[in-house]
Amino acid sequence: MATRRRIGVAAIQKKQETANKFAAKGDQMAGEQLVQFSQQLDQLSAGLEMFAQRHRDEIKKNSQFRRYFQEMCSSVGVDPLASSKGFWAKALGFGDFYYELGIQIVEICLSTTHINGGIMTVEEIRNRLMRTRSRTRKDTISTDDILRAVDKLKVLGNGFELVPLGGGRFLVQSVPGELSMDHSRVLQLAEDAAYVTKELIIDKLRWDEPRATSALEHLVKEGLAWTDEQASDTTQYWFPSLFLQQYCHSSSSTSVSESLHSMSFNNYQ
Amino acid sequence: MATTSAFKWPWQYDFPPFFTIQKSLNTKDKQLEAWARLVIDYAQHNKIYSLDIAEATTSELFNNQKLNRRLSTDGVNTVLQYLEQKKLIEFTDNGRTRFHIFWRRPDVWANMIYQWAVENAFLNTPLTLYEITHGDDTTNESFHNLEREILMKALTCLEDQRRAQLMNIGGDNEGVKFV
Repeated sequence: MATRRRIGVAAIQKKQETANKFAAKGDQMAGEQLVQFSQQLDQLSAGLEMFAQRHRDEIKKNSQFRRYFQEMCSSVGVDPLASSKGFWAKALGFGDFYYELGIQIVEICLSTTHINGGIMTVEEIRNRLMRTRSRTRKDTISTDDILRAVDKLKVLGNGFELVPLGGGRFLVQSVPGELSMDHSRVLQLAEDAAYVTKELIIDKLRWDEPRATSALEHLVKEGLAWTDEQASDTTQYWFPSLFLQQYCHSSSSTSVSESLHSMSFNNYQ
Repeated sequence: MATTSAFKWPWQYDFPPFFTIQKSLNTKDKQLEAWARLVIDYAQHNKIYSLDIAEATTSELFNNQKLNRRLSTDGVNTVLQYLEQKKLIEFTDNGRTRFHIFWRRPDVWANMIYQWAVENAFLNTPLTLYEITHGDDTTNESFHNLEREILMKALTCLEDQRRAQLMNIGGDNEGVKFV
């Protein structure tokens, strides 16, 4: 009598065959999916690249557009600034943009350290950049661009740091040397008036006297702060970097940059 | 002190601690350099060739009334020592109460004067010193009203280069001939 139940070698072989077929089909499907995925990724890359190429001028000129593009790239996990050799740099000449900006920022910082001791507000860097650039071209530089460029400069070692002032505002520190948390907070406190006093620090930051003294002494020693002994009651500690920014705003003339340039006696005749 | 147009003060002049000599050495260097530049620019703008220390200490140069800040006598002396060291000023007396300010070096004055003589065909013509600094021909030249002592330094320069011959110096008709 024949039963419906198959037994024997043939049956086992048949079972094996089916399993193999399933496995093969599975592999095939996975492979297809992979191909599809990589095709999609290629398409995405190609799309981004095409987008970048098509809007290249726009990206270079328009700071807001640039920022959106940066955000778009970072959301898909691409960093167009990561390498100067990648196709992003090639497609955009984009690396170049920030490298150039970086170099200009380094120049500005170095040429003003004798005034500000090596710290500058991002705003002031921007003002200066715009002034030097406006001679040759009209494109605007945003604060965001400067922060990105300075961030990239870290590759060069710990010479360039962003010191947060709070509220999304930063100082750029271009001299090696650690600014501790305490120093940053003193700078933060000085931001509006461009100066602080020991009493103000003790009062606002609730520090004891030795702590305030040591922070201030460090800032004076590093050339970041100047002392004014002629204030009515106490010594005031002034920050040229913060003062200059306000000075620039109050007098829109270029006299500051001129006087900075003429500081050295090279052109004395 | 004849003032023509308003002098453009550098930003440091509005920076209160600029009027306190800084203790940190690096900062002090920067400060003195800025003061030196200011003194020279100020003298040049106002065509000041020499200054009395007492007079200088009370002038607007070292006093910012708006800020109620002034550089102390010690501070002024520090700045002047720096300027002297850089050979930008020279005390005229042993008591060090008065000094010349060289906002142009004597050899630069010399070249300018010689250039003027060439352009106006005064070579080989005797000229009095008065004509050079106070004559009608030089009213538009920057060396018009130049102090005699600085003029003499400039002309001595030219004489050393055999481009001028001084005549009657110390006499009634002090003069020079450019060659």
